[in-house]
Amino acid sequence: MLQRFSSLRPQSKREALACLSDLEDPVVIAGGTDLLVRMKKGESHRNLVDITSINELSGAAEHNKHITIGCASTFHMVSNDTRIRACAPSLAEAASWIGSPQIRSMATIGGNLVNASPAADSIAPLLVHDAELTLESKDQVRTESLEAFIRGPYKTSISAAELLSSISIKPLDGYVEGYRRVAKRAAWAISRLSVAWAMALERGTFADVRLAIGSCTPTPFRARNVERFLAGKERKPGVAAEAVELCLAEIRSITGERPTFVYKLPVLRDLLHAILGGG
Amino acid sequence: MFVGRDLTKIDALAKVTGKAAFSYDLKTEEMLFACVLRSERPHARITNIDARAALAVPGVLRILSATDIPGKNVYGAIRKDQPFLADGIVRFVGEPILVVVAQNETVARQVLGLIKVEYAEIPSILSTTAAAESPVHVREEGSLLALRTLRKGDVERGFADADVVIEHTYKTQWIDHAFMETEAGVAYPDTDGRIVVRSSTQNIHYKRAEIARMLALPEERVRVLQATTGGGFGGKLDVTVEGFLALAVYHLKRPVVMRFTREESFLSNTKRHPLHIEYKTGFRKDGAITAVKANIIGDTGPYASYGETVCLRVPVHAAGPYEVPNVHAECRMFFTNNPVAGAMRGFGIPQVAFAHESQLDEAAEQLGIDPIDLRMKNALKKGSLTATSQVLSASAGLLETLRQVEPFWRKRRKGRRGNGFGLGCMYYGIGNTGIANPANADLELAEDGTIILHTGACDIGQGSDTVLLQILLDTINVEPRYVVLDRGDTATSQDAGSTSASRQTYISGSAVRNAGIKLRAFLEQRGFYRGTPLSEIYRFAKDEKPLRFDGYFDPPASGIDKETSQGVPYVTYGFATHMTEVQVEEATGACHVNKVWASHDVGRALNPRLINGQIQGGVAMGIGFALMEDFVPRKTRSFDTYYIPTSMDVPEIEVMLVEDPEPTGPFGAKGVGEPALIPQAASLINAVRDAVGVSVFELPCDLERLKILLERRKEKT
Repeated sequence: MLQRFSSLRPQSKREALACLSDLEDPVVIAGGTDLLVRMKKGESHRNLVDITSINELSGAAEHNKHITIGCASTFHMVSNDTRIRACAPSLAEAASWIGSPQIRSMATIGGNLVNASPAADSIAPLLVHDAELTLESKDQVRTESLEAFIRGPYKTSISAAELLSSISIKPLDGYVEGYRRVAKRAAWAISRLSVAWAMALERGTFADVRLAIGSCTPTPFRARNVERFLAGKERKPGVAAEAVELCLAEIRSITGERPTFVYKLPVLRDLLHAILGGG
Repeated sequence: MFVGRDLTKIDALAKVTGKAAFSYDLKTEEMLFACVLRSERPHARITNIDARAALAVPGVLRILSATDIPGKNVYGAIRKDQPFLADGIVRFVGEPILVVVAQNETVARQVLGLIKVEYAEIPSILSTTAAAESPVHVREEGSLLALRTLRKGDVERGFADADVVIEHTYKTQWIDHAFMETEAGVAYPDTDGRIVVRSSTQNIHYKRAEIARMLALPEERVRVLQATTGGGFGGKLDVTVEGFLALAVYHLKRPVVMRFTREESFLSNTKRHPLHIEYKTGFRKDGAITAVKANIIGDTGPYASYGETVCLRVPVHAAGPYEVPNVHAECRMFFTNNPVAGAMRGFGIPQVAFAHESQLDEAAEQLGIDPIDLRMKNALKKGSLTATSQVLSASAGLLETLRQVEPFWRKRRKGRRGNGFGLGCMYYGIGNTGIANPANADLELAEDGTIILHTGACDIGQGSDTVLLQILLDTINVEPRYVVLDRGDTATSQDAGSTSASRQTYISGSAVRNAGIKLRAFLEQRGFYRGTPLSEIYRFAKDEKPLRFDGYFDPPASGIDKETSQGVPYVTYGFATHMTEVQVEEATGACHVNKVWASHDVGRALNPRLINGQIQGGVAMGIGFALMEDFVPRKTRSFDTYYIPTSMDVPEIEVMLVEDPEPTGPFGAKGVGEPALIPQAASLINAVRDAVGVSVFELPCDLERLKILLERRKEKT
């Protein structure tokens, strides 16, 4: 059962930050598709600060060759935004697989990151794009990389008075990129495994590879060993096979052997083979 | 003529406009809310209950326990063995212990957390193996609920005659009904002092009897009505909210409402029986089946519910829809501390079909015979002897369903890697097994010149309201405007039996026709068909006799032998063939269903569109059963982890109908509700085998299980 709470709907970012700093036990609600589920299970907050009607926190814009995405942008918007689709197709793709159409109309990218589920679909493509987050409180603004922001499963560096206001990503010009998720049914399912990738190829060799894997380790991660190994190598099955082994070893080194790996690692192996080997 | 036409469901408009009143829509301001405190232990003695803190909370009116039940604290469809409220011992997680009645839902649910129950643990029996071997019994009478056997011919000789023998063990999982509307209802005392219960249910007369026994009241003091019901699938046959509601009204004399949360529904509702099926089939070189031996073990949870029904249906149907001269099938149901397994669409036969259809496809490969030819060779047809040695004298259209699918089967072409096709056949006895299961229906000529159909048959969404009216309209040959339906009220109708076993069209339909024939003779005699208005007929006739015409039908099945199950368990059977096309992605193990072709012999299609709806729903449910649904006792809590198919998982479904009329059915009709589901998982699993060459012996064949099977095969080669 839902406990009693107050709901506030600030109309500007400044107002929202004031709410977060001045009210007792505040929490940001940015769609509520995670928060309300937790609250129905017993989590309680005195003041819900609903940021979904603040225009400046929603939508994508371009600044200095960076795309800035407002935290209250819904996944419906992220998956359909022409700029995001052009500059970060892996993110648009990931966004299009989250939940159901109803959930994508409510759930926001900021909420997904602050919830920090190991299976959050938006994280892997944002890691590939070296996402930088802007966190604001009433008297402070700071930026942090997404990689540093996520401290563990469902744990981030955000404080109660802070708002994750925007996410900034670099378009990867000249890269081929994509996102693939595996789930128990065709739609409306949590990712069992996800891979986001971006590759720059020059005459059949890997100039640069970026690879992020979700739902496998406590937090989605960039497979940097694999990325370093591949840099400058020819794109061929043997190289891909070696890269795959490196990747699986990296996962095992992070978490040790897990019961779910009987399934997940062979799948990851086959997906990576297809992605890296060009099969 | 209304029979045979796609008449729009009479409840369609009310449902699409949101006007239909489901149970919780009947809630009024003055209603109290009741909710249930449930066991957190699978097997324990309750040593102490302290509800003082909860009772002290403002808004809490009463907390009811087993000691507040004035009559018998047991219910059960077949045997009365399940307590409404735990009486000292709990036998599964979720078993009701107390009912809290409060001013509103918030208070009622909040105080559940203040009630302290102390338990003394009893060792839990969590598997059928443990049930068979452990000295601890879930029930005083022992661990075995039932053992049913079917024997026909001599299986050993049959296997000796076989050129090819296929033998495997198949396992199926726990399944939740996952109906859209969770269990709910309202209850109140009426001005005559009766207790009225209106709920989401598949049967009303049964529930009236259970409530009356619980409250030690004559049945006339209890009235049960069916509210608009959002799905049942067997899960609303057992008593759910009705007993608690009636008990609360009995003590408080005030109106009360209940609804289960989805989590509560998962925890408390009966489940499909998980079956362990050891199955052996013998074939001659020409494909003829010589023998079937099946040893089946089921987990029925701590109480009987419909366990015995499944336990009997399973051996009776174990050999599948084929002519098998020698059959030995046995089913045992064990009591455990898992959830109560009960009735669910098909009563064990979707599980069994998975086994016999898998065996057929493996045999087809070994024999070098096309799977459709192998099925056609062995198919039951008019004149065949079933496994119970019943002669099928009519309405046996399995071959025709195979022939309807045949052109699609013959011209199938496998596309890219991972593409595959599979067949599944089934037969299914309509109505209860080898016992009387009558239905009544009454027609009344009312003062205003309308004809009222009083039926106790619950429409749970499948469309019996519409079909019964179609039968009536054609029987008495009147326009719909003359007819009014009065459905689902024990005060105005006689028992029609449960909406289960695909029986309402066939049995209640025949009862309506029976009443209609009597009314028609009366109307004929009074000049209605020559133009005399009904209101005038009423005026002239009302003093002569009561203008009520009783209809009745009980399928004339003579029953089966207790030891061998030989005889006539059902008068008529549904037959079907499904063909499924899948695409398996070997990298992930994900299986997508591309298309399903479904052909059903329904006797007579009274309303083809409604039949189509049943088949579409059956296919969707079968996809869930085959590929993803998996209830894990004490772990599965909600749809968060219990996956059912979405519209994206359900393909185009091509429905074809065979009409081989059933002489005892209304206008030749039989039933389709369960047949729609039964062959689906079987045909899908055969398609997976065709697609990637692995045999699946355990359901669900979800992506993890399939990927692991694919990996194992790779290791072998």
